[in-house]
Parts: sequence; structure tokens; C-alpha cells
Amino acid sequence: MEKTLKKENFNSLITGLKDKGYKTIAPKKDNNLITLCEIQEADEIHFDHIQTNNSIKEYFLPKTEKILSYTIEKTKVSIEEPEGFAVKSVVFGARPCDAASLPIMDKVFNWDCTDKFWIERREAITVVTIACDKCDSYCFCTSVGLAPDSKKGSDVLLTKISDDEYLVETETEKGEGLIKELETVFSEPPSGTPDRQVATVEKKFEIDKVKPWLDENFVHKIWAEFSKKCIGCGVCTFVCPTCHCFDIVDECTMAKGDRVKNWDGCQFKMFTLHTSGHNPRSTQDQRWRQRIMHKFKYYVEKFDNILCVGCGRCSRSCPADMNISEMLEIIATDEGQPEPVSSDEGQPVSKE
Amino acid sequence: MIEALRKKAEELLKNKTVDVVYGYGEGSVPERTRPVFITKPEDVNKLTWNKYCVYNLTTYLKKQEARKLGKPAIVVKGCDAKTITVLIKESQLKREDIYIIGVTCTGIGDPPATKCEACDVNTPLIYDELIGEKIENKEFSFDERYAELDEYEKLSEKEKWEFWQKQFEKCIKCYACSSICPLCFCDRCIVDKNQPQWIDPSAHPRGNLSWNVTRAYHLAGRCINCEECQRVCPADIPLNLLNKKLAKETEKNFKYRSGYNADDELAMATYKEDDSEEIFK
Repeated sequence: MEKTLKKENFNSLITGLKDKGYKTIAPKKDNNLITLCEIQEADEIHFDHIQTNNSIKEYFLPKTEKILSYTIEKTKVSIEEPEGFAVKSVVFGARPCDAASLPIMDKVFNWDCTDKFWIERREAITVVTIACDKCDSYCFCTSVGLAPDSKKGSDVLLTKISDDEYLVETETEKGEGLIKELETVFSEPPSGTPDRQVATVEKKFEIDKVKPWLDENFVHKIWAEFSKKCIGCGVCTFVCPTCHCFDIVDECTMAKGDRVKNWDGCQFKMFTLHTSGHNPRSTQDQRWRQRIMHKFKYYVEKFDNILCVGCGRCSRSCPADMNISEMLEIIATDEGQPEPVSSDEGQPVSKE
Repeated sequence: MIEALRKKAEELLKNKTVDVVYGYGEGSVPERTRPVFITKPEDVNKLTWNKYCVYNLTTYLKKQEARKLGKPAIVVKGCDAKTITVLIKESQLKREDIYIIGVTCTGIGDPPATKCEACDVNTPLIYDELIGEKIENKEFSFDERYAELDEYEKLSEKEKWEFWQKQFEKCIKCYACSSICPLCFCDRCIVDKNQPQWIDPSAHPRGNLSWNVTRAYHLAGRCINCEECQRVCPADIPLNLLNKKLAKETEKNFKYRSGYNADDELAMATYKEDDSEEIFK
């Protein structure tokens, strides 16, 4: 279904959503940050940005959430499961790369164990994206098979066609349903071909060359060379829309407690520390290699999808200017690659 | 200045005075630099110096990956150099195990970092070699030094509490603040200990409050105001406001400023009979 939406109708759209019982999440500026967060009025929405600081992920996989509560009385354990966590909402104005992360992660959350928290939220939330009309040098969606106006994962995609008008394209039944619910806000599609204002994102590398290289180079000195400056924090994994590792902890007293699911990240040295004290990824180069391997090899082998949408957040936010597309460019270009080195333990050599 | 820096690095590597130079290199975009580790004299051209050299490179002294490279020369600004004084004082480093390339600095960041406003270490207080024209270090009064706290201190206790609750709510527990901090050098942080679980790992209000307050307290009387924690915070939490407040309290109560004088006894690790007891009230 195609429609158009005038900027002057944003107010009626957001009010309409509220009246129909939707919670609205949209980009909003707060000091130096632009975050996807709950808004009440259209005036709060920020449009003139490349990317929000946080990704869409936290509305489907929150940074922390209670997955059950328990009480223990002598030999009896009672468990209470949380309810009402999936709230009918619309994410309005996310970028297409963020939306693309959702069907990619559907695969892992519907795999051997179905994650009801993810699945129910996916059903409850409608994703309305706005195609990017500008980009920066960190963006690389076109290198991972996407585009600034990809429809993947969006229920509705808006594309700017003039300073005050957007083309509205529905991609799913859920999206169509939403447009029908708020019919009066939208206008009929323009006649002729609209002038879509979409950014040109430079293609930085051939993705087809990445996996074959990774297949051969688990041991390579580039891992250590590139990751020397990495400080081992969790910024890249937490701002990433596709990193989905989590940890489960019990926050409890003797008699009762909550079981909580928290974001976790492979760049922390504690992430793989065994109870024995052994750590299979004891150095930062091994942890950096894991990040690349998981995204561009393991996930591809398991789910036939790259675990990266090219949003560039990890590079933009990195405290030490690690840049993932730069790493991938090196991998995908034969030129200038350091020779592989061998080591007895099959681990990368951290010292030249 | 860049030429002098490269020449010095080349000389140090050629003479084998050091094995590696931790310096600033060109970043992924013109508005950024990145830490580089130069081990070969022919690579010194990778070193640079400009207003985007924000990093406090002494933080790599705690990273095993950097330590493995051997004895370092480190490029430090005046603020960063104070870290070295503290690390030596806290027995984390021996003076002879490091070569300090001090650079004179008139401010970094764009817009300039808050720490640069009342900078009294344009010329580092400790170095083996100084790069750049020596700048007469300014002196500021106690009030001028902590002027950035003026607005904050006007808030009532309730307002302060609300302010921090709102700030900490944004925390995502990525621990970039402690990972980047050169003085957060514990191999195993209290937040990683779970028997007992001192700090809730969850990024909920209780977990975020306990983490952020504990982090700041462990730096009380130690933080040298490099502002790196604040720079790297992806949630834009004004972490240095806490550090600065604690520095002010430390100076007021113990007449101690971290990293300024190697002869001063550490405020939090030294008991003196005439220590102020005001702080316990």
C-alpha cells in the first residue's frame, strides 16, 4: 500500500496513535544525545540526525529485565512469571538499518529455545522507519547488502519526497493495519514517480570476500595488530542493534529473588572466564576476533545471515576509535594484508 | 612539534631506550585520533599531535596486550602526566620502567574539554623529554579550580538526588568509564565479584546507582581529572562532575591534590593525626 504523509500531519499521527492505545517511541534530543525513547507529542521528535545513539534493540531486548520471581518456603518453590512486558507500541522514525536487525535476530530467538520475551514484543511493536536522507563516513549499510531505504524489518517505510512530505510504503500486514487505523492522517499517493530523497552510502568492501577470508584466518596477526588499542569495554556490543548476548543472574535474598536477564558482551574479559579460572579468550585480540567471527562467519553458517546491518554505531561510539568497516575493508582487500603467522597454541600472536 | 615528537620517538626506538612508543595516530575521521603503538623506528611517521589527541594513553599501562610490547615511552599531556605520579605513588609503576614524552598543550577537544578551562598543567609536571615550547603553568584559586561545580552545588539535596537518578538511569553498564580509566587498574573489579554480589550487575536504578557511586568513591582523592570517563560514556552521563566534587572535598579536607606532587602522601592511604574529622559529620 502506498500513501503520503505531510509533515503538518505528524501531530495528528502521534495523537492518533495515542488514541488508538499505542505507546510511541521516537528519536528525541536530550543534551548531547539523540535517543529512541517514549514521546507524547510530535514536537518532541528529532528528525535532523544520521543515527540515534541507542539502537532499536532495547525495545525488544531491554538492557535489563526480570524473567521470573521466586519465593522459597522450606521445600516449596513458587515461581511467578512476569506479565504485561509486551506493550502495544509504535517505534516511529527509526532508521532502516535498525529495522533490518529485527528479522536477523528473529532467527536466534526462535531457534532451539523460543524466547517469549522477544517474540511477544515483536508482535506488539510496529516499526515505522524513515529512510536516511544523509549519512556519514561510519555508515556502511550498502556493504552488508542493505540500503538507506531498505524495507527489511520495517512494517512501514517513510521516504522524504519533498521538504514537507513523505512517501509511505507498507511492507507487512501489521503496517497496513496501522495505516488503515489512522487513515485520515494520510493522503493518496502522488501521481508519477516521486523524487525520493535518499542518501548515497558508499560501498566500502565486498562482503562476499569476508567469510572466505575468515574461514582461513582464525590465526592471523592482524587480530592483535588491529585490537591493540581496544580497551575491552562493552560500548560496541551494547550500542549494536544485532549483538544479543545476555547474562542471567539471580538477585535474591535467601527466601526470595528475581531472575534477571542483562545485556552482556564478548569484549569483556569476564565474558568467557570459567569457574576453574581458565579463560579461553584471555586476550583482547581473541575477543575482538570473536566479535568479527560471530558476525560474519558463525552466524552466517548457522542462520544464513550476516549479524551486522552497517549502522556504524560501534565505530562512532568506540572510546578508542576502533572501526569495524576499516577491519572489514582490510579483510576484503587482498592488498596490504600482513602475512599470517602461526603459533603453537593456535592463537593469534599478540607480540610481533 | 610533530616533527620533534617523531624524531624523539625514532631516537628512543633506535637506541633501544624503549621497546614501544604509545602515541597518537591519525584517526578514522579527521576529527579523531587514535592510540598507536610504535615499535619500529621507520613507523614514527604514524605519530601525530593535534587538538583531537584526547586520550590519556597511560591507561594502556594496565593492559596486558600493551605491556607485552615491552618498556614504553608514552606521549602525555599535562593532565595525563599526573596519572604517572599517582601510579608510582600507588606502587603500580616504577619511574625507571617508563619514558615520559611530555607535550605542552593549550587545550584539546572540539568544543574544548571542560578540564581545559582551568588548566594549570599546560606544561606537564613530570617528563623525561618535553616536546613543544614550555608554557608557564597558570595558577588558579581554590574557587576557580572548582568553578564548574558552582551550578551543581546550588542545587538542594533533593534536586541533586533527582539529578543523579535521572543521569544514572541512562547507564547501560558497558563499563567504558572504568575500562578507560588509567587509575581503575584492579585486575578484578568489585563489580565482577559475585560471592557476595556487592553490586547488582543489572542496569536498573539500584544497580546503576551502586555502580556509579562505587566507581566515583574508588577514585576519591585519586582521580587526576583527565575526564576520559566522561568522554567515553555512550550515555552522556556527566561522570566527571562526581569526580570533581570528590576532588574538591579531598582538597578542602586533606589539602591534597592528586598527581601534583610526588612528595605528597596519598590522601586516602595515609593516616595523619591532624587529619580533618569534618568529613565524618
